[in-house]
Amino acid sequence: MEIDRTDGRSPNQLRPLACSRGILHRSHGSASWSQGDTRVIAAVYGPKAGTKKNENPERACLEVIWKPKTGQSGKEEKEYETILKRTLQSICILTINPNTTTSIIIQVVHDDGSLLPCAVNAACVALVDAGIPLKHLAVSICCCLATCGHVILDPTKLEEEKMKAFAYLVFPNSINSILPEGSSHTKSKQLEDGLVTSVTHGGMSVEDYFHCLDRGRAATARLSDFLRKNLQSQVLGEGSKAG
Amino acid sequence: MGDKSSVLPLTLVDQLVVPGDVILDVSALTNRTIKLGGGLRQDADLITVTKAGRLRFSKPNKYWVESSQRRYVPSVEDSVLGIVVDSKADNFLIDIKGPAIAFLPVLAFEGGTRRNIPKLEAGTLLYVRVVKANPDTNPELSCTDTSGKAAEYGPLKDGFMFECSTGLSRMLLSSPTCPVLEEFGKKLSFEVAVGLNGRVWVNAESPSTVIVVSNAILKSESLSSTQQRILARKLLEKVQ
Repeated sequence: MEIDRTDGRSPNQLRPLACSRGILHRSHGSASWSQGDTRVIAAVYGPKAGTKKNENPERACLEVIWKPKTGQSGKEEKEYETILKRTLQSICILTINPNTTTSIIIQVVHDDGSLLPCAVNAACVALVDAGIPLKHLAVSICCCLATCGHVILDPTKLEEEKMKAFAYLVFPNSINSILPEGSSHTKSKQLEDGLVTSVTHGGMSVEDYFHCLDRGRAATARLSDFLRKNLQSQVLGEGSKAG
Repeated sequence: MGDKSSVLPLTLVDQLVVPGDVILDVSALTNRTIKLGGGLRQDADLITVTKAGRLRFSKPNKYWVESSQRRYVPSVEDSVLGIVVDSKADNFLIDIKGPAIAFLPVLAFEGGTRRNIPKLEAGTLLYVRVVKANPDTNPELSCTDTSGKAAEYGPLKDGFMFECSTGLSRMLLSSPTCPVLEEFGKKLSFEVAVGLNGRVWVNAESPSTVIVVSNAILKSESLSSTQQRILARKLLEKVQ
């Protein structure tokens, strides 16, 4: 049942996470997020006046710029930009600052697998740091399907290359609520079961996909806790400043 | 009814919240009005958080999220520091660090008429009040208080302006007076104007006082009130 991973992790084990906010001096919000050796820096500028051409001026516009570690950005980067933009559009409240543009710049520091999920997490933290109004947070994970049919989480670059198929999944974070546990409120329940983005590469059966979803959701609960703790500890820092 | 609903919502008050958290169920309180401040929104029956920060509650019915950010979003009745960018026939165009340029009508000064329009060159620093802040239009400013008096509003001459986070400027404006300013105020004489948009202006007789005070203010962002006092006293010893 167990499959061997080169770094000795169990299939469900994530690489060590690290996150810091406000690392850039001149941007309005910034964050660095790393999962193992994969590290991404996200910077947010804005909201700035005006929307870009072909965008609806009655809503806020998001602009994602993906900077690869080396070289020029090509097709792959464009795809990442589009996925990231759509993901962030669904978590931002676009009606609050109409006719403005918010730029999100993603700088890849090192790519060691699960790059896009790492970027989604970094961008989300950077948006919080910039104080952009959000409906909820998003946490992202990469699930891989090995040739033997096992699902492993948070693969490294080497593992990614060996895999039959993989799925990038983005879930809403688990929220704190004053409503009693298991209350009949369908809204918050829907959110818990929601899925923001799903990108798959390679072929997998429907069963395998649902298996991936389950595993991913279980793992994001931990990611979500990490995110909340991280945001809170750094807000706390500011809180003591104000106090 | 009143008792029950006022106990429940207090659970998240003064806690750190992140976007998406549900702080209140409005359907439970049918005959009460609540006021929502920054960082909160109503989503059907639920009040949810949109910004990370500390949830505050003020009696009887105000809720808001206290957060700090580098970018300013204008809101009505905020006193801000703006910089003149350009002047048009009807308006001065002012940069207030917001998403859009703000308009200051040329008549929005004490006793303002077409005859005595003040001459403000680009780059002038102004202490102004936000009068209109609709998301769809440019914010509108005024150099008078609500009764039409100039009050403290108007151009700031000389001195030194620096930018900080909105959290720091709110701390400087909070009452009781912020410890740094209080300690310095005992020994030194200086003027300070704080805009809620994260701009601070300091002026004093000697440049060294301006430098000491502004550096201390910038440093105090991450300090507690006792640490602020210690910092201020240390600096004062060095100056004198």
